[in-house]
Amino acid sequence: MTSAFIYLVSCSFRNRVRSQLKRLRQPRYLLGLVVGVLYLYMIFLRPSSRSARPDFGSGFTQFPAETMQAAMSVVLFIVVAVAWLVPGKRGAVEFTRSEVQFLFTAPVTRRQLIHYKLLRGQLAALFSSLIFTLLMRPGVGLTAVRVLLGLWLTLGLVNLHLTGVALSRASLIEHGASGRRRFGVPALIVGGAVVALLWVVASNWATLSALDSGREVFRELVRLGTTGVAGVILWPFRSAVALTLASSAGEFGLAFGIVAALFVLNYMWVVHSDTAFEEASAESAEKRVRNPMAARPKVGKRLKTPFRLAPRGRVETAILWKNLILVSRYVSVRTLFRLLPLVVIFGVAFSQSSRAGLAEMMGFFSVTLIVMLVLMGPMLARNDLRQDLSNLALLKAWPVSGRTMLRGQVLAPTVLLSVAVLVLLVAAASLLTPTLMRAGVSWSDQLAYVVSAILVAPALILGQVVLQNAIAVLLPAWAGLGSSRSRGIDAMGQRILLTFGTLVGLVIGLIPAALIAGGVGVTLYAMTDRVMVVIPAIASAIVVLAECWVATELLGLVLDRTDVSAIEAEER
Amino acid sequence: MISVTNLTKTYGDFRAVTDLSFQVAPGEVVGLIGPNGAGKTTTLRCIVGIQRPSAGQVTIDGHDVVASPVEAKRKLAFMADEPQLFEYLTVMEHLRLTGRIYGVADVEPRASALLKELQLEGKEQALPAELSRGMKQKVAIACGLLHEPRALLFDEPLTGLDPLGIRHMKETIVARGRQGAAVIVSSHLLHLVEEICTRVVIIARGMKAADGTLAELRDQAALAGSNLEQIFLAVTGREVP
Repeated sequence: MTSAFIYLVSCSFRNRVRSQLKRLRQPRYLLGLVVGVLYLYMIFLRPSSRSARPDFGSGFTQFPAETMQAAMSVVLFIVVAVAWLVPGKRGAVEFTRSEVQFLFTAPVTRRQLIHYKLLRGQLAALFSSLIFTLLMRPGVGLTAVRVLLGLWLTLGLVNLHLTGVALSRASLIEHGASGRRRFGVPALIVGGAVVALLWVVASNWATLSALDSGREVFRELVRLGTTGVAGVILWPFRSAVALTLASSAGEFGLAFGIVAALFVLNYMWVVHSDTAFEEASAESAEKRVRNPMAARPKVGKRLKTPFRLAPRGRVETAILWKNLILVSRYVSVRTLFRLLPLVVIFGVAFSQSSRAGLAEMMGFFSVTLIVMLVLMGPMLARNDLRQDLSNLALLKAWPVSGRTMLRGQVLAPTVLLSVAVLVLLVAAASLLTPTLMRAGVSWSDQLAYVVSAILVAPALILGQVVLQNAIAVLLPAWAGLGSSRSRGIDAMGQRILLTFGTLVGLVIGLIPAALIAGGVGVTLYAMTDRVMVVIPAIASAIVVLAECWVATELLGLVLDRTDVSAIEAEER
Repeated sequence: MISVTNLTKTYGDFRAVTDLSFQVAPGEVVGLIGPNGAGKTTTLRCIVGIQRPSAGQVTIDGHDVVASPVEAKRKLAFMADEPQLFEYLTVMEHLRLTGRIYGVADVEPRASALLKELQLEGKEQALPAELSRGMKQKVAIACGLLHEPRALLFDEPLTGLDPLGIRHMKETIVARGRQGAAVIVSSHLLHLVEEICTRVVIIARGMKAADGTLAELRDQAALAGSNLEQIFLAVTGREVP
């Protein structure tokens, strides 16, 4: 039977590569491949970039090995804790619908099915390890092999453990009291470990919050994570990570022994599970095919809507309502607003001069998030025409003009991202006040910067969302239908091109806004002898809004003329 | 009400529909039939404005679908063969959204009546993933009927329905015709077309092969006493009865 599984896996891999090669006949994928390969070369393989980094052994990352080990072990712990403590909707062992159809009806034992999934899981872990090894750039030769092997074993171990957790959870349903014991005891231990770690942080809160800089806070957290109770709890995770970060053959050998032992223990645990997972797996596979979103856990009350839709009114509002529901089935917009007072209270509390370290760290973290949300958010939040391209035939049957449709579509991601940015801006402003005061930035100036950011950020987000929707209208095949995303180096290259194109478009689009804002700013300075930012910010936001209005007018005309069959044909 | 004049639709070098013309008057239920690949769905999609005709004209109540798409689409409803629903909206939310799009003031009472008519009572808060194929079809039809359109287009309306659902659906289509709507039903189920349609248009290879009542079709095909299946096979050249 193993040979049949190997045949299935190898054929699947070969045919996937074949179909990816076949699609290179389409110029967009060929162009994507060229860009993707160039990108990989520039990032990973260019000799100058490799020599710019210190070699393996002297620490191949910018952080000390101890810090990296602590951070990665915490990440691993969180992954395992979430698997034990947070119930998901996925089947115990995930199979595709075809696998269910062919393998579940074949004379294959349950243990053989588990072996098949483990085989696939290990191959996926090997591929991920290869990517991570390239990212970490440990050098060449034996060192690189050691890192690759270390990562593979660690990721493989995690994969194995998560399979075991899923089987134990399924056993909970199948075996009643004994299942509860089998799942409950380890879950209690993991829950206890989480509480203990939180207690360690809580009991050292005074020390942490009194530190002067974010770096010192991080260093103290690393110390706490490697000593005492937390050190004991995180030891298996640190050992797993140590395999990848080992700086000598001796260290590697020791870590290898520990991870190998953990691997064997987990393997024995998984293959000796007698849980009947087939029904849940088949159901999960069916759901994923019917509705990819149904397989994801639902968060929030599903019957709640972001607001009540009046029977009459603008169509744009109806489309906004529809697209907000898409998100609010998972995260409520109101939740973000409810967080606002909490953020302010915490921000003020941390802003005390004696507690500047933690506040500064969190403040800069908030600023980073704001920059990421403004620049990357519009690419990731696809609850607009990009999501609706798969329903375009339905939308085209509505009595709605293209421009109205587009304006309605761009609202939802803009509103969501703007609300998130607003919350983070308030948080960052509260947290960074002492730091900015020390740097000589007055209260009034700080307030002016925050107000300006609140005005400009939504305009920037809207501009990018319009650009993303322009791609969906003008180059629908590049945008992808619905939530589906192509995989492969060529698809990655396509996305790089799109990202680059969006940024170029944004820069071009911002030139008029920048010129006008600059003009207004200079005029105000000449009149008052003071640098004013709020009024130029208002001017620039108005210009961007006007540009977006004109863009949706023009794109609407294109959307009106778009033939659904052309999009469907390009996807085939 | 529905007027198709010299409609042609090409995909590159391939002609899916060629110079097709027919009209559907208020109160008429017209069956659009043809072999696989004859151009039925393309014709329907051009009529409702999902696809742009390569040549020719389609008007709904006098409004050109290409020149005045919004006005034309306000008057019609299209029920596709594969019901397209938003996976994240409940049944009732679909109806509320449709009501707002079409400017229906009294959505709630109309929605309740339609849900009752289509046996969807109790499913108001269900998401599409929780519905069977037939129920999804009914939801799409309920959305289509909500604004009381004057032109109705059904593409394979009975797919996925149970026997009771089929019976109710036939009654729904006939009732809309009696109320004065112009109805086009595209289906491979010839007995359905024979039972509920007042007129039949047969298309083959993208062109109109026959058009008329069953009696007129019998005369055209010179097949006295034959049923629609025999006429269809004779007209499309598939088989000589």
